Amino acid sequence: MINIQALEKSFGDKKVLDRLTFSLVPGEIYGLLGPNGSGKSTTINLICNLLDVDDGAIWIDGKAPSDTTKSLIGVAPQEISLYKDLTCQENLHFFANLYGVSRKKRTENINDLIDTFQLHEHANTKVGSLSGGWQRRVNIAVAMVHAPSILILDEPTAGLDVEARYELWRVIEQLKMTGMTILLTTHYLEEAETLCSRIGILQHGRIVAEGAMDELCTLVTAQALAVLETNNKLALCQKASSLGWDYREYGGKLTLLLPQHFTLKQIVEHFDGLPLSSIDLQKIRLEHVYFEVTQDRSNSQRIIA
Amino acid sequence: MQTQISEIRTIAFRIVRELLRTRRTLIFWVVFPTLMLVLFGLIYAGSAGTTSNSFDRTTPGILIGAALFFSCLGGPIALIVAERERRTLRRLLLSPLKPISYFLGIVMAFLIIAAGQTLIVYGVSFLFGGRFRGSLFLGMLIICLSVVAYVGMGFFFGARFSKRAEDVNGPVSAFGVPLLVLGGTFFPISLLPSYLLMVAHLDPVLHMNQALRGVSAHHQGLEQIFPHLLFLALFAVAALALGIYSYRVMLVQEKKG
Repeated sequence: MINIQALEKSFGDKKVLDRLTFSLVPGEIYGLLGPNGSGKSTTINLICNLLDVDDGAIWIDGKAPSDTTKSLIGVAPQEISLYKDLTCQENLHFFANLYGVSRKKRTENINDLIDTFQLHEHANTKVGSLSGGWQRRVNIAVAMVHAPSILILDEPTAGLDVEARYELWRVIEQLKMTGMTILLTTHYLEEAETLCSRIGILQHGRIVAEGAMDELCTLVTAQALAVLETNNKLALCQKASSLGWDYREYGGKLTLLLPQHFTLKQIVEHFDGLPLSSIDLQKIRLEHVYFEVTQDRSNSQRIIA
Repeated sequence: MQTQISEIRTIAFRIVRELLRTRRTLIFWVVFPTLMLVLFGLIYAGSAGTTSNSFDRTTPGILIGAALFFSCLGGPIALIVAERERRTLRRLLLSPLKPISYFLGIVMAFLIIAAGQTLIVYGVSFLFGGRFRGSLFLGMLIICLSVVAYVGMGFFFGARFSKRAEDVNGPVSAFGVPLLVLGGTFFPISLLPSYLLMVAHLDPVLHMNQALRGVSAHHQGLEQIFPHLLFLALFAVAALALGIYSYRVMLVQEKKG
């Protein structure tokens, strides 16, 4: 579907993509994660033929990006990019026309999308009068109006309240069931964990970790995690080291990488005499993997030490 | 070719449809020239001998200067700024839409709007005894060339100088209004001192006014208005080229995000 090989892109002296390589297989949702400036948007712009590749290659259904491949891709941009004075249906018709969808097919596609995104009540409402959640739905529906084989969702739930976000997840899961191939970027790790078949974590323009959730979890060398709160991090870290346990500072929280499963009582016993205000035993999640592969380890350990 | 025509039509109809929904702009584009026509028609009635003569002479200038100027010059600037601000321009770039189709779609939309304004302005003029006395074909040609020239300039200002909604009125006021004054829209150019008159001959609005007034009020033919028509045609082509170039430069910037 999409195959990216050793892709390079620089803006002036700044190298944004550095031999980026990854691929999407049909029917999967591939999550592309990474901090701001890691190269996600540039990757999307290159796939969509908005920018020229410096080096490397992109193949979309076996073709290099061009004006022809634009019809193979549907992009729902991060910002709601719709004509707010037009209704949902009018926006759908407008973009279907631009993609040259025939009249019959257009009507079929639009009716299907109205069903999928449950837009029946709002089909004839001006987009500007809809709530953020409904506008997001229309934003994605418009990306699909020409029945693309690949859908790119660029932070599809950014700025939505929790309820609207979950509702949109349900819609995206429905799309997944139809076999749609989706490239999804998000800053919500829970979103990627819930929706994506595989995840690639991008940093400094290259993939630093990739795989399904269970594969990614193996990158954190622990059986379980204990998140501790203490007013004496130094003593705690020294004790952990003496026990042969590794530790990290994930998102500013001191986290022990436990070599085996322990009960809370066992952990408290190991740190007997040290000031612990709370302990939370956690399973390894994407959040931990993300910090593990993107964090500057030496810096993190320096903070603690 | 068929795809391109379909793209142009799609863009044009979307703009017109949106405009019909934003009534404030539409009302301004109708009320302002109507009021100006009635006011100036009545003001010049004394010196023109009769009200109908006055409206004959005033109507072309009002159409060019008070109607088409604000819609077809200010309109494309506002449109480009809006497309950028609401990020729809980026979405258009993601589609297979050809840049030239987008440009021509906008020209077509403003030709439709101009046709509506022409009917209204001449309709009001008719009520006061004003008439279109010359060749309809020549009249339409002058109006079409004027629209193309305005839209080309609008694209230039919109793409190069207007990034936000607040920037829309700047170019119209700073560059456009002096063109109206020098172009003899609101008062005869015979009032201009000789050195300003020389400058005025480089003003496209003057040639639009002179050509349309010649055809509409004085029943002049192609031969009599030819110098004005030629200047206008050349200017329209230049404005169109400048507009397309500015638009392409803007697209390159927009693609970089």
